Amino acid sequence: MTASATPADQPGVSALGNTRGPIADRVAAGIFLLPGVVWLVVLFLLPLGIMAVISLGAVDPGGHVTLTSPSLDNYGQAFRPEYLPAFIRSLYYAGAATVLSLAIGYPVAYWISRHGGRRKILLLILVMLPFWTSWLIRTYAWMIILRDNGIVNSLLVDTGVIDDPIPILNTDFAVILGMTYGFLPYAILPLFVSIDRLDESLVQAGRDLYASGRGAFLHVTLPLTMPGIVAAALLTFIPALGDFVTPDLLGGTDTTTIAKLIQVIFTSGRDWPYGSALGFLLMAVTIAGTLLALRSLRREVIG
Amino acid sequence: MTSRPSRWLTAFTLAVYVVLFAPIVVLIVFSFNQSRRNFVWLGFTTDWYGKLAGNQQILDALWVTMQVAIVAVVGSTILGSLLGLGLARIRFRGSGAVQTLLLLPMITPEVVMGISLLVFFTQLFSLNGSIGQIMLAHITFCISYVAITVRARAASLDPRLEEAARDLGASAFGAFRHVTLPLLAPAIAAGAMLAFALSFDDLIVTSFNAGVGSTTLPIQIYSSIKFGVTPQINAISTIIVAVVSVALLVAWRLGAFRSAARAVIADPDAA
Amino acid sequence: MTERNLPGISFTEALEQRLDQANWSRREFLARVAAFGAATALSQLLIACGQGGASPTAPPATPAATTTAVATPTAAPTPVPTPEKELFVYNWDGYIGEKTVEQFHDKYGITVKYDLFPDEATQITTLKKDGKGGGYDVSYPASTWMPDFTQNGIVRQLDHSLIPNLKNLSAAWQNPGYDPNNQYSVPNYWWTTGFAWDPRKINKDLTSWDALWDSAYDNHMSMLDDMRECFGAAAFRLHLSPNTKDTGELDQILTMLEQQKPLLRLYTQDDISDLTSGTVWLTHAWSGDWVQMTYDKPKTKYVIPAEGAVKGNDVMVVLSGAPHPIAAHLWIDFNLDADVSAANTNYIGYMGPNDAALPKIEGYIKDDPRLNPPPEVLAELIELEYLPQPDLDQYTNRWTALRA
Repeated sequence: MTASATPADQPGVSALGNTRGPIADRVAAGIFLLPGVVWLVVLFLLPLGIMAVISLGAVDPGGHVTLTSPSLDNYGQAFRPEYLPAFIRSLYYAGAATVLSLAIGYPVAYWISRHGGRRKILLLILVMLPFWTSWLIRTYAWMIILRDNGIVNSLLVDTGVIDDPIPILNTDFAVILGMTYGFLPYAILPLFVSIDRLDESLVQAGRDLYASGRGAFLHVTLPLTMPGIVAAALLTFIPALGDFVTPDLLGGTDTTTIAKLIQVIFTSGRDWPYGSALGFLLMAVTIAGTLLALRSLRREVIG
Repeated sequence: MTSRPSRWLTAFTLAVYVVLFAPIVVLIVFSFNQSRRNFVWLGFTTDWYGKLAGNQQILDALWVTMQVAIVAVVGSTILGSLLGLGLARIRFRGSGAVQTLLLLPMITPEVVMGISLLVFFTQLFSLNGSIGQIMLAHITFCISYVAITVRARAASLDPRLEEAARDLGASAFGAFRHVTLPLLAPAIAAGAMLAFALSFDDLIVTSFNAGVGSTTLPIQIYSSIKFGVTPQINAISTIIVAVVSVALLVAWRLGAFRSAARAVIADPDAA
Repeated sequence: MTERNLPGISFTEALEQRLDQANWSRREFLARVAAFGAATALSQLLIACGQGGASPTAPPATPAATTTAVATPTAAPTPVPTPEKELFVYNWDGYIGEKTVEQFHDKYGITVKYDLFPDEATQITTLKKDGKGGGYDVSYPASTWMPDFTQNGIVRQLDHSLIPNLKNLSAAWQNPGYDPNNQYSVPNYWWTTGFAWDPRKINKDLTSWDALWDSAYDNHMSMLDDMRECFGAAAFRLHLSPNTKDTGELDQILTMLEQQKPLLRLYTQDDISDLTSGTVWLTHAWSGDWVQMTYDKPKTKYVIPAEGAVKGNDVMVVLSGAPHPIAAHLWIDFNLDADVSAANTNYIGYMGPNDAALPKIEGYIKDDPRLNPPPEVLAELIELEYLPQPDLDQYTNRWTALRA
């Protein structure tokens, strides 16, 4: 497997593959990393820092955020046991959507890569095409498809499969379906990018070694495409945790996520400090969990 | 050559495409619905397209959204690709921190990010929201997606390829341009497409950074929900789909994809 | 640059008032004025050049130093000032007659930029973000926000001399409690919050909030995804006030809502679609939404429940940072015109407090006691009052616990 050689394993070869030395390396690092990092620090971390400060404050009766007595009260309050169901539900939805997106996206990405031929790019763009329309209308379209007198139910009732329509909309099922649908391209694209890189001859060798397509897949293809799988998982799970609008529109009374609660606290509750605190807690948990998961995968992941 | 596709795999892929486009077909069909609200089919009409042509508000919003999306894509693709490649290639002590920094925008609840930017721009710069401010916000949350996509690909590229090019006489930039960049192209393109979709559809962060006259299409559409997602909105989505499809068809006919695909297929490593 | 001074208190008095409200130091203020003044002066210069040297239509003052005007009781005839060329309005979608903007433009030659917002939270955040209205001239907040807005200097005192059509308002609305003498606002529309149902599915005459707790309609009902409204409904059922601050009462309300939750299909953002699409048979709804429902399902019924209901109204205000205050006043005056007001009401289905418009309002609106309740019914309905922190927190904590 040639792909696992990192620059650090080869003394004398620096980042750009040349042997110029540490100064060129620093310049290279500067050119590559600095613009993005500076941008994120100024336009993301700094504003976020402001919110962190706000999270230590409270709201006075006049409706303003006051920092007269900063404290961690909001964080303490955020650990309410009543929020636990919503939190677990968020993890469940995001997890389910991610697993499904990967399970569905991988074969599709594989097919496009191996059998798309000249039309590969076109097929990829076709995957993205639905997502260049408004998200809200797509969700409304799903409502038309899934509601009690919608397309699916009408079909089932008309063909006599069932007598009464089954409530599909406003359930967990509809939410996970909607979320998976919404995040599928975020999975397919990075998966494709990784699978496409795969050297067919290695797979062939694997087939010979393991005497089965399945063995080759498990022991050659899957590990080699792991960077793509990890990227796809990240790009699906993390935003899915923050998606409250899909459960809002497609869900019922028992589909509230923690992200929705944060939204409610900011809007109906007019409580920016408390909302920020809860938001930061959610972020901390997510980041900790993600880094842990990534670290445990580091052995198989390149870099 | 590649093996013949398994029937199941082909059928599965086809089914996925069908499901992907099912809501699109529904919304196209309902753009011809006579009912003002989206739900009951009352008859065929093209009235909504006519109304759309006269609806300056929606058209303005679409124009704003397009401008923002283009700038967001260009900005985030450049910054994100550089970041992704740098993270994959360069070993340095802060790489863990940079990686965490990349994940943070994705983890941040949108309302927190939106309001943080609102407070930032209003209090520190006395800015009241504008199309420029929206663009800055969009680039900010798109960078991570591009960077992670590019990084995954860059991580599996062999740096010795570039070294070989340099040994053959290419300059550092030349090697980068003729070897690394083409190999990364699919990932960069994928990141750009993700960024476009993200920007085009964004509501919450945008609504906190919009100002007078910088209403985007998602804001316009979501604001109309009170009186129903009228078929005018279906109409505009249908037009978008149609325009992009036609553009794709034309590009395909002109062979644009063949050269891109050739670059992708003719992988120097797959010897 | 000619300074337009509206009649009333002196510039320095207004300035001191404004500084007090903004909590700025004088130095900070002067710095901002200098910066903005330079920009304004420059733009005025450009306008003057464009008009070939004619005196520019100067906005009365920089936003930082709004000259506040008190409504002069006797009209020492003020010359009608030349309005600006543009107007920035910030409103709900479809909350105005179909031709109103067009007609306004035809009458005054003013181009209206009409921006929308998806929900009240976004609206309020935008209006408050710079403390002056976020760059807009006119907006339509709920009346409950008026104490907050006037206290924090978000809105500008109205110059009644520019709004002669104020006389069209019915007597009851000339001096509302939230804004004595309509100094800062003009009432727009009002509504009630009851519930609506499809008589083909529920062939009964429902009259009580009990209906929304009836297990016979299990999984066929929805409540509005609105904390104050849901608490209100439960409060009425318990014969409590929807503005209660008593934590014991709030606990009762929470228990009542918890009993209801398993029977509901959803907490809805879009009551209109949910009923017309058949997703629910019965839904918590605003009166104007019910009118919308009847467009697709003409037989839909609505009731103001016997135990009581919420009534509310919104208002038109001129924001304190309005770049085009004259045009803003004209807009308000225009919308108070009998014909325009009637057209607005007829299009959107909400009643307005405009007596002069009454003859022109369609019968199905003004004669319907559900949309236009007689005074004795109205007197029984309760407005949702503004709840300051920490009282609001008592609600929020319970609402989030309920929804989680």
